[in-house]
Amino acid sequence: MQITLRVNGEERTLDVTPYTRLLDLIREDLGLTGVKEGCGKGECGACTVIMNGELTASCLVPAPQADGAEILTIEGLAADGKLDPIQESFIEAGAVQCGFCIPGMVLAGKRLLDENPNPNEEDVRYGLSGNICRCTGYAKIIDAVMMAADKLKVEGSVNNGE
Amino acid sequence: MANNKYDVKDYYCKHTTRCTVEGEKKSKRFVGRNVLKADAEDKVTGEAVYPNDITFEDTLYLKVKRAVHPHAFLKDIDISEAKKVKGVVDIITAEDIPEVRKFGLIIRDQPVLVGIGEKMRYMGDALAVVVAENKEAAIKARDLIKVKVEKLEIITNPFRAMEDDAPDIHPDGNILITHNLDRGDVEAAFAESDIIVEKKYQTQFIDQLPMQNEAGTAFYDEKKGIVNIWAATQWLHDTQADIAQSLRLAKGQVRIIQPTIGGAFGKKEDVSVHIHLAIAAIRTGRPVKFTYTREESMITQSKRHPITIYNKTGVSKDGYLKAWETKFIGDTGAYASSGPAVVHKGMYHATGPYDVANIRGISHAVYTNNTYCGAMRGFGTTQGAFAYESQMDILAEKLEMDPAQFRLQNVYHIGSSTPNGQQLNHSVNAEETIKRVMELSGWKGGQKE
Amino acid sequence: MKKYGRGLATIMFGFGYGEGFPDHSIASIEIKEDERIVIRTAAADVGQGVITTVIQIAAEILRIKPDYFEVIQGDTHTTKNSGSTSATRQTYFTGNAVKKAAENLLANIYHYGSLEFRSNHPEINVEDGKIYMYDDPDNYITYWDLARTLDQNGKKLEAEGSFFPVTYKPDQEGQADKVYVAYTFLSQVIEVEVDTDTGMIDLLNVYTAIDLGKAINPKNVEGQIEGGTVQGLGMGMMEEQVIQDGITLNPDMSDYLVPTSVDIPKFKHYLVEDEDSEGPFGAKGVGEPTLIAAAPALANAVYDAVGIRFFELPLSPSRVKKALQEKAAEDE
Repeated sequence: MQITLRVNGEERTLDVTPYTRLLDLIREDLGLTGVKEGCGKGECGACTVIMNGELTASCLVPAPQADGAEILTIEGLAADGKLDPIQESFIEAGAVQCGFCIPGMVLAGKRLLDENPNPNEEDVRYGLSGNICRCTGYAKIIDAVMMAADKLKVEGSVNNGE
Repeated sequence: MANNKYDVKDYYCKHTTRCTVEGEKKSKRFVGRNVLKADAEDKVTGEAVYPNDITFEDTLYLKVKRAVHPHAFLKDIDISEAKKVKGVVDIITAEDIPEVRKFGLIIRDQPVLVGIGEKMRYMGDALAVVVAENKEAAIKARDLIKVKVEKLEIITNPFRAMEDDAPDIHPDGNILITHNLDRGDVEAAFAESDIIVEKKYQTQFIDQLPMQNEAGTAFYDEKKGIVNIWAATQWLHDTQADIAQSLRLAKGQVRIIQPTIGGAFGKKEDVSVHIHLAIAAIRTGRPVKFTYTREESMITQSKRHPITIYNKTGVSKDGYLKAWETKFIGDTGAYASSGPAVVHKGMYHATGPYDVANIRGISHAVYTNNTYCGAMRGFGTTQGAFAYESQMDILAEKLEMDPAQFRLQNVYHIGSSTPNGQQLNHSVNAEETIKRVMELSGWKGGQKE
Repeated sequence: MKKYGRGLATIMFGFGYGEGFPDHSIASIEIKEDERIVIRTAAADVGQGVITTVIQIAAEILRIKPDYFEVIQGDTHTTKNSGSTSATRQTYFTGNAVKKAAENLLANIYHYGSLEFRSNHPEINVEDGKIYMYDDPDNYITYWDLARTLDQNGKKLEAEGSFFPVTYKPDQEGQADKVYVAYTFLSQVIEVEVDTDTGMIDLLNVYTAIDLGKAINPKNVEGQIEGGTVQGLGMGMMEEQVIQDGITLNPDMSDYLVPTSVDIPKFKHYLVEDEDSEGPFGAKGVGEPTLIAAAPALANAVYDAVGIRFFELPLSPSRVKKALQEKAAEDE
């Protein structure tokens, strides 16, 4: 069967089987390998994408369900070669070690800040709780999301001419 | 050749432009500064290439049929139905590769494929390699392979394994290795001790659980006679050497190109996908890809050793350690891996950072039919620390001393000697770490804040 | 009811393979005509940051910004053996190998630079990738100029370094003069609250002081402490692969639990730096030591909170709850 979806702003039409996982469609058919597979059971968050505005474990989604969907992967976050403030923050906070969880973590952080631009630490911890990281102990990842919130506030005020 | 579709490329992170000094762009000092990580930009953009991210045109997919019983002779393996699956290119069993030798980190005791008449020793042992045009066909064919076995007693723990009537898992018996420590006069020192505490501790199987499962791609360059492998390893040249000896190739015929590694913690010291990939690539002449599932990774690759630790510790009534006797029994599972080095490293650290003039210890690493145990962060000393630091608190309480004070008066200084008799002559600041952590945490005397 | 407790653990870790096992690292550095400096090492960066560590060391010695460096790190056919990323050894071993390579390269820069300037080394200064006479800083040549000049003569501006310290195999009684190259020490205090109804342990604070000689990159050291500690707390509180009759009963992340962002404590660190080790700039390894104290400090904290000593890991809610119930029954 054929489905059409928008991935990182680009419309794509693809042949899929009813059993194709959205994860495999993204990684193998679209070549967006920034989306990772860590467990294949929706437990670890490495395969996280933002689908229709919601954090989604792409390993659990049959591709046909993504027909008509709007999907953002880690590859779509930097605009015109300029990193998103949350990506900058992950680098500056020292939040990146092996990096395998990072695409999912960054998207979870972005989704959190989209919904709540002024999170406290507790909010951030809960917002990231679906994403497992085995390297960092999360502390610097939490720092990174808090740092990104501050950056976005400054950027927002600059953009508003305040 | 410009249009070589199997171009041998490197895939390590090489964005280094961001490797700048945080907040000190004009600094001329770089050591001791928070220079931003060189590979972080590649990793936050999804550009970093991990082993499972490499796919060539015409890639074949590999799956492994694994053991059906933790301890059994393989009597028969029937691949006839599996071969009929559309898309299957090759099914490899031990009889196809008689020249291939066993592999292993320290002792080469792991079979690449278990042959008929040979033993499977744990659930991760490989019985057959299936190579197919796509993953689905490889999985379908793998599941159609029929196996007959003669079951043996499953050795579930090292204590059973060490009994005289237990069947041998390996030809040389179930005790893989034994080490001893003997320093000072332990008997006399216990006799002089005012308080003696004797306890048994038990730790568990732990998976290192790096986020990235074992994966890789291989391609055989027939013209050069080189098999190229893109897969993770914690020791590039050691893995290369092990693959080369196993396949009877020159080292130069095995090229490993390390992509970005998605965590390891000890788990990626052992060979995983590498040899199966190399064999399949050489036989098929096409690129081959193999990715473990999480389940396969947890069952097949190394664990942290469960260690049973017996500690007997004697102190004087004024709180000085006099004597320490210890025994470490480590379950090393079905194969040696790092086992010959892990358990006794734990024992060598049995007294922690404390001065004990009289110590005696013995350690055994013992084969069982559990998933093999190898390296994990701490390498035996993690298990040992749970035992010695519990022991220290028990002693402090019996002495009615503050646990920090008890540690401070026994801790190593410059000039102290370890249980191995190594005199510490440089950089010994254990005492300062205790004082600093007391300051940080507001630890005062024996009183809670 | 929630009961507060705190526990202390102090640990030691002898790093490197030790025991007389040949343990070394080889690295090389080349200054390229196209304004890059390439470090070649086979040291695997598994996330801990050895790439960044060796860049910092080389940049410090070669007196040029880290931005120019590229690390070729993982190809059997273009790098020499650097030993494994294990045994807490890469900062110490490959750090030293890269430092020596950088020192040898700096010596070559002085050597070939002095030929260009027809002068002796003490009259020459090297700064920001420029080579010049002290009394005429405006009249400089760059590293890249020098590399091009050498290239025209069929030479490369490069150097190799290696580090191969000695240790000894212990005798039958486990005795030897030098078993490990050096030891890292760490003390940790962990504060918890134990829920006496559920057996759940809440982690409050973790305080860590580590004796590491010198932090090449303090923030990355903090990342090691936090990550290692959380792995150790996983071992202490929840992690266990259950293998029954040779069969793993929980071979997935639904049933093999590891700490998540809501489980972790708050951290405070202190780095004890005496710069007295034989590692690069006095550094010692930190990778493994950061994990080791967590489980015992946790067990000691739980004892402090509820008066129960656990001799078996992990201190899972079910194990803690069962022990609390048994203790309550005994107390009655």
